[in-house]
Amino acid sequence: MSFYFISIGGTGAKVMESLIHLCIAGILPENERLFISAIDPDVGNGNLERTSTALNNFSVFQRLSTGNDTNLFKNKVSIVRPFPWNPTGTDKTLDDLINFYHHKNSPVGKIYEALYSKKERETTLNEGFRGHPSIGAAVLAKKFDDGSKLTAQIEKTIGEGENVKIFLAGSVFGGTGAAGLPTIARLLKNNLADYADRISIGGVLILPYFSFTPTEKSDELFARSENFLPNTKAALKYYSERENLFDATYFVGDTTLTAVKEFSVGSANQRNEAHIVELYCALAAADFYARPIKSPKIIKYICRHEKNSFKISDFPLSKELFVQFARFIFAYVHLIKPVLANLVSGSEKAYKYPWFVDFLEEVDVTAPEVVNFNFYAESFVAWLEQIENLDGREVFLINPALFEANPARLTDKKLFSALDGNKSKVTLHEIFYRLSEPQKFDSTVKGFGKFLRRLYDSCAD
Amino acid sequence: MNRTARTVIKLFLIVITAILCTAAAYYLCSNITGHSLATASENMNYSRWLEKFFVLTRVTGLLNGICALIWFISARFLFKIDESADAGKRIFWVAFLCLSLAISVGIPHFYAPILGIKLNGIIFGLFSAIFTGIGYWLLTIFTTPLAFKYTPLGARFFGRKL
Repeated sequence: MSFYFISIGGTGAKVMESLIHLCIAGILPENERLFISAIDPDVGNGNLERTSTALNNFSVFQRLSTGNDTNLFKNKVSIVRPFPWNPTGTDKTLDDLINFYHHKNSPVGKIYEALYSKKERETTLNEGFRGHPSIGAAVLAKKFDDGSKLTAQIEKTIGEGENVKIFLAGSVFGGTGAAGLPTIARLLKNNLADYADRISIGGVLILPYFSFTPTEKSDELFARSENFLPNTKAALKYYSERENLFDATYFVGDTTLTAVKEFSVGSANQRNEAHIVELYCALAAADFYARPIKSPKIIKYICRHEKNSFKISDFPLSKELFVQFARFIFAYVHLIKPVLANLVSGSEKAYKYPWFVDFLEEVDVTAPEVVNFNFYAESFVAWLEQIENLDGREVFLINPALFEANPARLTDKKLFSALDGNKSKVTLHEIFYRLSEPQKFDSTVKGFGKFLRRLYDSCAD
Repeated sequence: MNRTARTVIKLFLIVITAILCTAAAYYLCSNITGHSLATASENMNYSRWLEKFFVLTRVTGLLNGICALIWFISARFLFKIDESADAGKRIFWVAFLCLSLAISVGIPHFYAPILGIKLNGIIFGLFSAIFTGIGYWLLTIFTTPLAFKYTPLGARFFGRKL
């Protein structure tokens, strides 16, 4: 079995960010490889850039040998290139992409002119489809087979004897996601029709959960949050009336629309903070991957204990793994990272840190795997902090009073043993102690991976 | 082996080592130099000297054992490592080493006149080597709790696992 995740648009990219954290934390089922693909005409999108950084970090440090009998880093990732796939190219308008000039006076051209306004046709699409799914649907349908290598990659995986579960994530209220979800699902279904019994396609349709107020360029074509609800209504009507292409469909949104702090049409400035809705969408992907490949369509509802708050007890799956992973990251940034460089340089005495003598004295801690893991630890904490500091929502997965991000650090180490709100015996001292205790690993566990594995195991409750 | 079992074994090892060090010090000192020291004193014979020397050895052995025990209990139950800076604690280990040496030398020096027996340099040397060298230094290398297992000087050469 192989898992594919296709993010469509900026919201999809943010779901991908959450999914990568869940993947690294070992919350995805089995030890299957996760192939990651992104479709976004706005390749400079800040959200996608942040996600790509976490993904690229992991694609390097997943080489660490942590063993086959652990949840840590168990799902390896592969990036499907081009990443991200940009269906529009650079400085292209819809007219360019459709080759309108060749059809200008034909009946098809006239229908086209009737369906799309002049502004829609002549706006460059460097920053996405700007909340206009009608543009995106046309472009994606035209360009997918030539430009994206996704179908070929999936066929290759199937050719290697694997079954494939494909999960798509995108918003239904914006441009790229709303256009891409049904279009890509249909194209994949058609392209892979010969392998219908070997594939399963799921999707999360992300409903509105944020709003924004444009501050500039108000005459430009861009997504408007006042259109989100009508767009959503139209999209849901479409999905209810048309054949549902997904074997499993998840709907995730929020009744409270979180205000985006800085509005941007797109590009690098579009750097929205992580949101609990995106985490739930990633959990939907994990749920889909855990289902049998051909299972009956069912309707599931997810609920939480309190209307206005999200707690770790609301976490729908593997909360123990999530808490263990959070402990692992915080223990690393608090106990290990601050002294690692000094230990290597010799300015800190090695005898103080038995874990260094036992695991790391012979390890090159300037290797790319270690450096990328250090970056990743920072990005995980930053992501978690963003999720927990939402305006209008109380989120308490990990105690927000425990830590700060940028740089990641513990602000109140006494809270560590109850970092999810539940008292545990795993204190920082306990972790330090466990790190010094002997543990047998198989021969595949070695180097810095062996140390991280020991640390991760030490963080189990 | 779980942590509790390891703790019990180490406590047992500390007690046993203190007893063995006391026995070794008594046996070696009395055989090497005891006879000549006993006959050199007035109103003293060998059996009386041995009797008083045994008291001296037991007191020294007991106090040295307590040094090793306090280090163990501190490292096992009292020292908490919540920060990188809390690790190591070698200054405490060295302090107990100095205390052990002071006991190995100081007890014979001050207590022997009270008991009315004479001692010589060999006894001071043997007491230092046995009680401080074996009864504290070597013992703590093998019994220091794992979070501080490389704190005793030279511990890294022994490649401890337990």
